[in-house]
Amino acid sequence: MSDKIGVYVCECGPNIGEAIDIDKVIEAISPIEDVAVVRRHKLLCSGDGQNFLVDEIKNEGLTHVVLGACSPKDHEITFMNVATRAGINPYLIQVVNIREQCAWIFKDKDIATKKAIKYIRAGIERIKYHKPLQKKELDANPDVLVLGGGLAGIEAALALTQTDRKVYLVEKSADLGGSVMKFEKLLSHQGFNLGLIKEKVDKINSNENIEVLTSTNVESVIGFFGNFEVTTKPAGEEAGGKSFIVGAVVVASGYNWFDLESTPRYGYKKIEDVFTINDFGRMIEESEKLKLSTGKEPKSIALVHCGGRKELGYCSRVCCMQMMNIGNYIKDKYPGIEVHELHSDLCVSSKNDQKYYEKSKEKGINFIRMKGVEVGGKAGAISIEYTTLAGDKGKLAVDMAVVAPGMIPEAGTPQVADMLNVPLHPTGFFKEGHEKLNPVGTTMDGIYVVGCAQGPKSFMETLIQAQAATGKIFSHLIPGKKIEPEVKVSEIIEAFCTGCQTCLDVCFYGAITYDEDKGVSVVNEAICRGCGNCAGSCPSDAIRPKHFTTTQLYQEVVEALRE
Amino acid sequence: MSNDFKPNIVGFLCNWCTYAAADLAGQSKFDIKPSINVIRVMCSSRIDPNLVLGAFLWGADGVLVAGCHPGDCHYEKGNFYTRRRFTQMKKVLETLNLDPDRLQLAWVSASEGQRYRDVINAFTDKIKEMGPNPLKPNPAV
Amino acid sequence: MDENTNNNVLVIGAGMGGIQASLLLAEAGKQVYLVEKEPLFGGNVIKYEEVFPNMECSTCMIAPKQQEVLQNPNIELMTHSIVEDVQGSVGNFSVKIKKKARYVSLVNCIGCGACYDPCPVSLDNEFEQNLSQKKAIYIPCPGALPNVPVIDPEYCTRLKGVDECSACKDSCMFEAIEYDQKDEILDVKVTAVIVATGFGLFDITAAPKYGYGKVKNVYSAFEFERLFAKNGPTEGNTVLKGGENPNSIAIIHCVGRKELGYCSGVCCMYSYKFSQYLKHSFPDAKVFQLYSDMCVPGKSYQKFYKQTMDKGVDFIYHEDVEVKGNGSKIKLNVKNGKDKDQELEVDMVILAQSLKSTESNSELAKILGIEQDDKGFFVSMTESFEPASTAKPGIYVVGCSEAPKDVPQSIAQAEAAVGKVLALT
Ligand SMILES: Cc1cc2nc3c(=O)[nH]c(=O)nc-3n(C[C@H](O)[C@H](O)[C@H](O)COP(=O)(O)OP(=O)(O)OC[C@H]3O[C@@H](n4cnc5c(N)ncnc54)[C@H](O)[C@@H]3O)c2cc1C
Ligand SMILES: Cc1cc2nc3c(=O)[nH]c(=O)nc-3n(C[C@H](O)[C@H](O)[C@H](O)COP(=O)(O)OP(=O)(O)OC[C@H]3O[C@@H](n4cnc5c(N)ncnc54)[C@H](O)[C@@H]3O)c2cc1C
Ligand code: SF4
Ligand code: SF4
Ligand code: SF4
Ligand code: SF4
Ligand code: SF4
Ligand code: FES
Repeated sequence: MSDKIGVYVCECGPNIGEAIDIDKVIEAISPIEDVAVVRRHKLLCSGDGQNFLVDEIKNEGLTHVVLGACSPKDHEITFMNVATRAGINPYLIQVVNIREQCAWIFKDKDIATKKAIKYIRAGIERIKYHKPLQKKELDANPDVLVLGGGLAGIEAALALTQTDRKVYLVEKSADLGGSVMKFEKLLSHQGFNLGLIKEKVDKINSNENIEVLTSTNVESVIGFFGNFEVTTKPAGEEAGGKSFIVGAVVVASGYNWFDLESTPRYGYKKIEDVFTINDFGRMIEESEKLKLSTGKEPKSIALVHCGGRKELGYCSRVCCMQMMNIGNYIKDKYPGIEVHELHSDLCVSSKNDQKYYEKSKEKGINFIRMKGVEVGGKAGAISIEYTTLAGDKGKLAVDMAVVAPGMIPEAGTPQVADMLNVPLHPTGFFKEGHEKLNPVGTTMDGIYVVGCAQGPKSFMETLIQAQAATGKIFSHLIPGKKIEPEVKVSEIIEAFCTGCQTCLDVCFYGAITYDEDKGVSVVNEAICRGCGNCAGSCPSDAIRPKHFTTTQLYQEVVEALRE
Repeated sequence: MSNDFKPNIVGFLCNWCTYAAADLAGQSKFDIKPSINVIRVMCSSRIDPNLVLGAFLWGADGVLVAGCHPGDCHYEKGNFYTRRRFTQMKKVLETLNLDPDRLQLAWVSASEGQRYRDVINAFTDKIKEMGPNPLKPNPAV
Repeated sequence: MDENTNNNVLVIGAGMGGIQASLLLAEAGKQVYLVEKEPLFGGNVIKYEEVFPNMECSTCMIAPKQQEVLQNPNIELMTHSIVEDVQGSVGNFSVKIKKKARYVSLVNCIGCGACYDPCPVSLDNEFEQNLSQKKAIYIPCPGALPNVPVIDPEYCTRLKGVDECSACKDSCMFEAIEYDQKDEILDVKVTAVIVATGFGLFDITAAPKYGYGKVKNVYSAFEFERLFAKNGPTEGNTVLKGGENPNSIAIIHCVGRKELGYCSGVCCMYSYKFSQYLKHSFPDAKVFQLYSDMCVPGKSYQKFYKQTMDKGVDFIYHEDVEVKGNGSKIKLNVKNGKDKDQELEVDMVILAQSLKSTESNSELAKILGIEQDDKGFFVSMTESFEPASTAKPGIYVVGCSEAPKDVPQSIAQAEAAVGKVLALT
């Protein structure tokens, strides 16, 4: 069947009607091969206009429609729906922008008319090479793998539970709970209720839709959104692994602490009675008593903020609050002990933090603003030398010091990133899908990163992120519902592909793989976003971004240059 | 150069930024020189050297490739590839005896309607000074 | 469908938070009523040219999302509308929405803009922080969505009954002007409500020491955003009141922090953004940041601060400051804990105001039966680990309506609320 192309020029009231001589356009367009009808209309996007188009397509038996109208950004979707209503494939419609990019910018009617003719002709020549594109539907597995069983992982696993969805919670250590569980006394002093976490852990353990795999590592994750194959292995063993399929993965693998020993200025491990937050937390967990190495109770304690911040190049977000919490703990239990907090900036950015700081000051904690600090001296006579903002030197003698180490990525992060094919941030934490718009997604659809795996986060931010990943999964991956990947994706023509694999490197989404047997590259249409970068890179012209094929674009080039 | 030379420029604009800027320029009713012929692509990285060379061989006096500002690409890193390929393309133009300045790369974001106007108008003036594409008389390639 | 169940969700406020929540809910098959009090939507972010820390163009970031909202059949966007009443409980709320008369048909208008010029009435454009004028029929700025004007009935001489002007109607070829539109009340039923009403800024006239409104060329944060915006009143050419470009600028941090009693967590970052704007336009200008704490939490913000410093911006620690006029210059007395005040002379001052709660929150709190904290922000159940939920089942709070936040935090909280809503059914 030969093409029957209908061309419709919208007057858009006076917007196009007065700026462009539409009669001339019709005259110039009508003789073009395969053009069956050329007509004008007052306002194509109106209800009337849409009905008119539907009737025209049906009555004239049109195969393709070219519309000279406003920007496709305004009404391409409107007209695609019109096509569907009229029974033709929505990709056999081409909207040619003769308003924003023609009628409104070329003030000379003659010029605007000539340009409109050019653009419409380009649309006609292009549409001759359009292929009907079909929406695909893929079966999707609604189950979810949660990797890491700290605060973030626990929250996500529990929130994700729904009747038709199974959650696998994989934790490499023997217990669920993550970093906070070791600090019950310290954290409860701050009003952070660890009991709630324990309750959640109990709920997880008794929930039949959640399979908890502790002391387990994830060995591999292969696939794409809706269909990831996961294999696990018990830690330290060769056998006993499992494999299962999930539709999405939530990474909640947490963080580690900066190694203060690597930075001599903190005196850590060289001077006795210099501790990290960890050590301090453990000390009070073991016995209520604060004890120096001599067995005596300290008289003065320095709390040093920002441990390693300079080296790391970022602020760890929660250590200011942690340190103030330690200060408060000491002041509440041992009002006689002098407490000095040596801070650089005060990171009190949640809405109740500043109040906490003001209360801490009222309790008699001495806050000292500094820009550099060194912990020296020896046990019993620890000397803290610091520089004020103005550059003056100051000195403090204390008998105990606690330094706040910054947060760093969990040691296994690069391996996990590699396994999941998601990028890392320059700091070594996972990188979010978009710094602003997609804070818990990644560049891979169906893979989410939450909590401190993604960078320093407070309790609440961690919980919000875990719940946010849940929201996204509930929205995108519904049990029993298929998923619809992008339609305008790229395809590789086997016959042209030389197997050079250039395209593999440029695809940011990892949508292309190399088929060893055939010696060619293949696009996974479930992953591809249709940017066309691979086509731009292919030396053999083997890649066709659907709807933006080289032939289609070439037609536009040729028409643009036709005199 | 004769004044009646009317340059013909092919402009490949990325859908997310520069094409939107071109629309905004229209909504703002800016005066833009009619030398420009817009072709929409999803990302500036779609443009392969063949398309650019093709445009020149068909007689384009100038080719503009425009997309999001570096770092703003809708597909994360597409425009970094564009930039890299662009440098290579300029070299190829030299071997064809074409002034590499006939090929221009521009970053124009969706809010920069007036920058879009300025880029098009300035590029047009530059091409006007250079004169017609010397390859134009033999488009039979 | 059973009378007591429905598939609908109400989202109040169409900023980044409300938009993201609506899109996710719509994708899950919910029918969303997205209610926005302004005639345009997008929230505060549409005022900005760029966003930190990636300095991405703000329009490029939000416009595609807005288009998605406009084109999504599952979302009914109601601009120029407010929620008047909410009754019932989770699963079955009855909501009364007032759609204010726009006097322009959202269906017929194609956004050509032919009606503004003929209108004889000019007034200050609030969206542009009164830095430019608009007509009684207007869109707030080029690119505003929906691209359909609105008539301000308090200024339109015809609607005020002063005369029979019909200049806009006469110039409209699309029969889009409807002088007889009336406010409409819409009753809908929803299962859940997400509140995303955003923030306001600290009222700088309440702190005279900053000289705002008295000393020439002292600007608020939003004024400066618009003075740099390419679609703003000066097309992005930042000019002072006398028409000249600034040579020396002081950006004062933490304006309102002491008074409000909390750190807003984003003003440091947006101040660095301002410095980058300025250094971009005027590489030779002197830019001073008067900071108190560098609030740069998380993995990428400190780097942004370093980048700003590398552009040659001076950082001055301050505990207090006084801004005074001094001929054509502005004089700053900076207290920073030393015996003697530091003095600074500049020709432009920008006040980095704290974020505060939206004024309409107290009314909404009453309508919804949810709690506000002592600062006016809505209270979420952080203590029981539900940071997007309120004490009232089925009502959620997200974004800056709950507490000051940046864009990604607002979006994450919106996504979290969606998770809660979708878990209800
Ligand atoms: C002492 C202390 C004080 C704090 N004080 C405050 C405060 O005052 N205010 C505040 O807001 N925040 C505070 N925090 C921060 C808070 O702890 C974090 O926001 C939160 O714990 C992060 O939780 P997470 O789940 O992301 O990480 P984690 O708690 O680190 O949990 C990660 C889990 O993943 C597991 N895992 C890692 N890799 C793998 C892998 N490859 N496979 C399987 N499992 C893996 C780990 O074993 C761990 O169980 C404090 C933290 C601590 C420890
Ligand atoms: C000067 C400045 C610069 C900033 N720059 C950045 C930046 O570069 N990057 C960044 O990440 N963050 C930035 N921020 C923060 C950012 O603006 C907020 O994080 C973001 O706007 C929050 O989105 P939201 O949806 O919560 O609120 P908003 O953007 O405030 O949106 C709320 C919406 O609700 C509507 N509304 C209010 N009340 C009602 C009601 N009663 N009924 C119906 N609708 C209502 C409002 O009209 C508005 O449209 C900046 C803030 C300021 C002050
Ligand atoms: S949170 Fe406080 S202590 Fe931690 S790095 Fe940031 S400023 Fe330093
Ligand atoms: S770049 Fe082209 S030729 Fe090379 S592997 Fe990819 S598709 Fe094949
Ligand atoms: S079009 Fe883009 S996303 Fe798709 S395979 Fe090519 S490079 Fe990857
Ligand atoms: S009717 Fe009102 S809005 Fe319309 S032009 Fe007259 S004064 Fe302006
Ligand atoms: S009301 Fe009429 S004249 Fe005004 S913008 Fe809409 S269509 Fe154009
Ligand atoms: S999407 Fe604009 S350059 Fe890639």
